[in-house]
Amino acid sequence: MKLQDVDVAVIGAGPAGLAAAIKAKESGAQNVIVMERAEQMGGLLHQCVHNGFGLFYFNEDLTGPEYAHRFVEKATDTGINGLLETMVTEITAERQVKAISGEAGCITLKPKAIVLAMGCRERARGALGIPGTRPAGIFTAGTAQRFVNVEGFIPGKKIVILGSGDIGMIMARRLTLEGANVEAVVEILPYTGGLIRNEVQCLHDFEIPLLLRHTVTQIHGEQRIEAVTISEVDNSARPIAGTERKIECDTLLLSVGLIPENELSLMAGVELDPITGGPIVDEMRQTSIPGIFAGGNVVHVHDLVDNVSWESELAGESAARFASGVKEPKGEIRLKAGNNIRYIVPQTISGQNAVTLYIRVEEMEEDVRLQIGDVMNKGLRIVKPSEMLKIELSPEHLKKTKKGTGEIVVKCERRQRQ
Amino acid sequence: MFQTEVLIIGGGALGTAIARELSRYKVETALVEKEFDFGWGSTKANMCIVCQGADGLEFRKEYRRTRLVQESMSLMEPLCAELDVPFNRVGELAIFFNNEGRAKYEKMKARAEISGITAHKFIERDELRQMEPNIAKEAIGALYDPNIAVTDPVRLSIALAENAEQNGVKLITGAEVQDIVKVADGFDVKTSQGNIYCEFIINAAGTSVDRVAAMLNADDFVVYPIRGYVAILDRKVSDLVNHEVHARPEAPGESNIITPTVYGNLSIGTPMTLAKRGEHLTTREMTQITLNNVQRLVPDVSERDIINSFSGFLMFRNWEVGWHECVVSPSRNVPRFINVSIGYPGVSAAPATAREVMKLLRQEGLKLEEKPDFNPYRKAITDFSELSDQEKQELIAKDNRYGHVVCRCETVTEGEIIEAIKRGANTLDGVKFRTRAGMGRCQSGFCLPRVINILSRELSISPKEVTKKGGESQQLLFESKELVEGRQ
Repeated sequence: MKLQDVDVAVIGAGPAGLAAAIKAKESGAQNVIVMERAEQMGGLLHQCVHNGFGLFYFNEDLTGPEYAHRFVEKATDTGINGLLETMVTEITAERQVKAISGEAGCITLKPKAIVLAMGCRERARGALGIPGTRPAGIFTAGTAQRFVNVEGFIPGKKIVILGSGDIGMIMARRLTLEGANVEAVVEILPYTGGLIRNEVQCLHDFEIPLLLRHTVTQIHGEQRIEAVTISEVDNSARPIAGTERKIECDTLLLSVGLIPENELSLMAGVELDPITGGPIVDEMRQTSIPGIFAGGNVVHVHDLVDNVSWESELAGESAARFASGVKEPKGEIRLKAGNNIRYIVPQTISGQNAVTLYIRVEEMEEDVRLQIGDVMNKGLRIVKPSEMLKIELSPEHLKKTKKGTGEIVVKCERRQRQ
Repeated sequence: MFQTEVLIIGGGALGTAIARELSRYKVETALVEKEFDFGWGSTKANMCIVCQGADGLEFRKEYRRTRLVQESMSLMEPLCAELDVPFNRVGELAIFFNNEGRAKYEKMKARAEISGITAHKFIERDELRQMEPNIAKEAIGALYDPNIAVTDPVRLSIALAENAEQNGVKLITGAEVQDIVKVADGFDVKTSQGNIYCEFIINAAGTSVDRVAAMLNADDFVVYPIRGYVAILDRKVSDLVNHEVHARPEAPGESNIITPTVYGNLSIGTPMTLAKRGEHLTTREMTQITLNNVQRLVPDVSERDIINSFSGFLMFRNWEVGWHECVVSPSRNVPRFINVSIGYPGVSAAPATAREVMKLLRQEGLKLEEKPDFNPYRKAITDFSELSDQEKQELIAKDNRYGHVVCRCETVTEGEIIEAIKRGANTLDGVKFRTRAGMGRCQSGFCLPRVINILSRELSISPKEVTKKGGESQQLLFESKELVEGRQ
């Protein structure tokens, strides 16, 4: 494998990295390298044995491994160089990449462009500060998913799940199918933290108790977890005294949020958005450091892999262009989150190209109007933080922006009834 | 029945330091520890500070604890060097917000000077800002002690145990002492792993020190369990402070501390309270109080950056008046039975306490003759992340398992984990404390399945038998299909 004259180095070979690498190659980059710390390409899709992947990208209902397989095959066919069991340890603003592998030892690359595709990690117990003891039997939902679907072990048979993120709900169903009892899925918010389709297919269809506006307020057990105390919470998400209830269990799963994995981005000095936890990007998915691009969950946590693939293709294509010396128009218009908007990706646009906006709202609301400055205005029946909004803007739309304002405010407000 | 001349009960910082000190002499020594590795009691849950205790208002030259802590201060750095244990002299800033605060520190400084501690000096507002740019605006100065250091007490205990073993001490982990009976010339100690006959007992059982002593009616002292809370912050905010920083409480319950650890993370701590022994829990309130108090020192400390929190116990000699005395003495009732309990700061006092115990053993009639071949040096497990590129390259070329990063947050390789297992780690926590695998920001979400597989392979046990911390702490209870097929 040629480690000199690398045009595009992609960090991570999950769905984001593979899509970026393939697109970079297809867009003319000669030497594209993907660096992956795991034993195989495909990332966490390998442990997502359920279906529902690719409904939009392939117009087919695939399992995670099937979805991954299509990209892995294409990467191989396109001539992408994959460095497996290779851990990138450092990236600099000058685009130097350092990595370690058992096979090649220490590797240093100097690619013309970099795509960050490190994905995200699960929020752990420590970050939540759940009170109580520290016994065995507490896992993040994704780690439990790996045990069940890849390693062949079931963590326990009386399960409580804290949080109702997608992986948590999917694991509630998975563990039920494996013969375990899921005693409850406990969610602090008044609605689930994942897709509506997962709430229906994974919880309701299996009659798994969903306790909204509740949280775990104590963990019991010295060696292995023996029970949790749950409490109802008030409107500010504070436990209400007197509502405590003990549920016996041998396992607690946590599905309480995902955090973009940006330790390497920070080393390179890439500026992060405090809301998304990922790099601030323009419409080409270029970060604040020229030549460093990013796509997928490292930028913001998606709910559908299809969007991860599309967004990362954009990053891959832009990286290939950068490597060949093309200068992109700069994103000079800032997208600003207004009423009930949590974030918009990309954070800046040039106004010259068609662009897809990924938008997350702050709170669930029905019958709303989504307003994108004076560019677009759209009625929506319901918005929910866990369901990302995807809005396509054409150059025609963007012609409406007043030149020189430099800012488009996006807001989501309850529709006025006539 | 296993026989030895001296039996040490407890493998925390004190017990292991005593074992290592005894290994200098021609004496048969064994150490029993109820946990599955060393330093899992009070040793593992504290602020990891090596201090001389002069920050305590009760600091008096005449107390034995004062002498032991002070003597240890000069012993700790060379000890860490011999045993290849991290040690970093970060220095201490005791902050004050008004002239009353300053006056208290002036008194303390004078008292420390009487005891021969002369390094303290006052730092004024501007210099303080230069040393600690993130300190609260309200701080008007600090008392600076450049000698205060941080270490890793668990690794220190493991290193002491390993070095003791190299020099002939028998180490027995996972063995809880259940009863002690006085027999003709010695003691019959019943443990969960069989009986041990010995002639001398050193009781360094930490939070169980009084209970072990009570087995023989040798508990001629009272200690109280005091619980503290510690939270670890993400490395990305490690620049918030450069020194150990604390302020004297203006009201009870307001004490606070923030300090660098030897690994770059900061840790924050809280006022300590009397609590039921063994209740190693944390509460929402502990987190809130700690944050509120520490934010008075460094306003930018945020709950968001906490990656883990835990509580730990100290045994205080005298809860009502403070922590000024300790137990390092032969039992008045039972000859050749020595109780050792420092309370605070136990880890800091360990080196001199171990020497003190040698004196007591001599007094109790043990002959201590030096071994000519005592080897004071012990090498740590190679910390891959600390090597230069050249060294990494060479190590991977020799053993490519060092090129396989298992814990991505702390960059811990398979090579390091295998070495830890070879040296005695047989649980997930054992691997964690010896290598840091699982101690990073993802708290083992990524490496847990991988470490379970490595432990299973190296120890030739099923992944179902791999435990978090020994005993009944298995992580994986069933194999696939075991539940649906009704095998359970």
